[in-house]
Amino acid sequence: MHKRIKTKFLGVEIESPLVLPAGVMDMSYSGLNFACKNGAGIVTSKSLTLQPRSGHKSPVVAEFAGGMLNCMGLCNPGISEGLIEIDQFKERSLIPVIVSVFATNKDDFLSLTKQVNDCHGDFLELNLSCPNVFDEFGIPLAASKEEVFKIVKAVKELSQKPVIAKLSPNVYNIVEIALAAQKAGADALCMINTVGPGMAIDAKMVKPVLFNKFGGLSGPCIKPIALKMVYQSYSAVEIPIIGMGGVTYGIDAVEMLMAGASVIGVGTAVYYRGMEVFEKINEEMIEFMDENGYETIADIPKLKKLEM
Amino acid sequence: MNKRVTIKIAEIIEETKDIRTFVFQHNLGAKPGQFIMLTDFEGGEKPFSISDCTETEFFITVKRIGDFTTRLFQKNAGDFVSIRGPFGSSFFISSGNVLLVGGGYGTPPLYFLAQELLKNGAKVTVVNGAKTKEDLVFCDKFKELGVEYQNITQLGCLGRAGTSVDLAKEAITGQKFDYVYAAGPEMMMKALQPHLQDLEYEFLFERYMKCAIGICGNCTMDPLGIRLCVEGPVLPKKLVEQLTEFGKYHRDATGKRIEY
Repeated sequence: MHKRIKTKFLGVEIESPLVLPAGVMDMSYSGLNFACKNGAGIVTSKSLTLQPRSGHKSPVVAEFAGGMLNCMGLCNPGISEGLIEIDQFKERSLIPVIVSVFATNKDDFLSLTKQVNDCHGDFLELNLSCPNVFDEFGIPLAASKEEVFKIVKAVKELSQKPVIAKLSPNVYNIVEIALAAQKAGADALCMINTVGPGMAIDAKMVKPVLFNKFGGLSGPCIKPIALKMVYQSYSAVEIPIIGMGGVTYGIDAVEMLMAGASVIGVGTAVYYRGMEVFEKINEEMIEFMDENGYETIADIPKLKKLEM
Repeated sequence: MNKRVTIKIAEIIEETKDIRTFVFQHNLGAKPGQFIMLTDFEGGEKPFSISDCTETEFFITVKRIGDFTTRLFQKNAGDFVSIRGPFGSSFFISSGNVLLVGGGYGTPPLYFLAQELLKNGAKVTVVNGAKTKEDLVFCDKFKELGVEYQNITQLGCLGRAGTSVDLAKEAITGQKFDYVYAAGPEMMMKALQPHLQDLEYEFLFERYMKCAIGICGNCTMDPLGIRLCVEGPVLPKKLVEQLTEFGKYHRDATGKRIEY
């Protein structure tokens, strides 16, 4: 049915260019499967850490006009339990899985990489950019091109799976970070993580809404930032980009492709449009292709690259 | 879309030593089985089933079990709390002969359901069980509705010792029900399920919830991946029968499986 939106990502055939990103509906094998049944082409695990994490105390989400704040705080059952879920998913599905991992230093990333090597996941994503654990871990690694280079390079030497670097939008010069990841051997980039962080206040009770006080922005309001950063990075690097940030409708996905993304992440839109959002966006992309005379997704043109 | 509202507690009703009903003057527009998320911004935002709801007010009935509910019990009428909702699926409102099976502090949402069923012309039988007399809630309220009502305690405080599943089994043997509804501990529903093979039913489930808007994935149920905050918390027979984790395990805040 969707032959026209079939594509490839890092050599693997996928039924849809839509990616379930880390942190959304990915606590269990069945959650990943639910996303696939609804039309996702690739799914990503929660960012797994060496030890289990409960994440931040709730409230962990706050809605506002144009988007959402979240501070889940990297809750996950730990790498060992998390990989069991991934293997259980792979027993039931042919859909590729990105195993996302989070650490704060090279050694921990290497320990995680070693364990991911032994699972049935397809790709390894390094979450270098969680904005919601500042109190615990400080500025994300993705803010420093030296750190990004050092970690990606070390992981690449050990990983038996293609390595994806998940980058932060909260940097002055995204291009130098993207180039550092590519130079270190990253096979792909994933951007953008949530923006900010920001905050929300309850005026009646005079309290921050989020217990963590601050949380990353997602949803439609961050799409312009995502498009800009994907476009800037696409102009500078040769490796494929998973573009995400505010993609809610088919036209957003098309714009993300035009900005230079190879595949497109859809996260917060699951809240706005339900789990069926993947199927809806798939169909809306095909509608756009019909209206504009593009036979396959590969025919959708990219913007002319920025001159660097 | 289920925006947060910060409202005053209008009234607090002591049901038992450890169970209280909190009343809010707010047009929530909830259906039976749905829930709200409630916080005081002091750490923790928890799901609570609606135990009654009109156009002007709604009720939640809370058991004191941990830090969060202990803090809630220290609040007074007039204090602010912040809520989001209503969330999730609701019970099917049947019009036939129906049986409601409640256990412990899981029973209150069945009170809201019983009223809607009666309005719809259903013949309602309620069986309510708890560990002790002190844990039985809403006995008088159900009786006032004029439904067929029976209760029982595990320790036999009211004479006979047993569970609401025992009462349900007897009711099912005695008459033909068109629909059965259950809310209470998961193991109660697990014990009830084998007796409902020829009957239509819906169960109200509980899982650890964080976002309540279908994003975080903490409340997904294996192997379907359905979210208890969106596709649940009320699940119909055809879904319940497919759940491999039902009565076996649930997930904690980290997502780790915890066996029952």
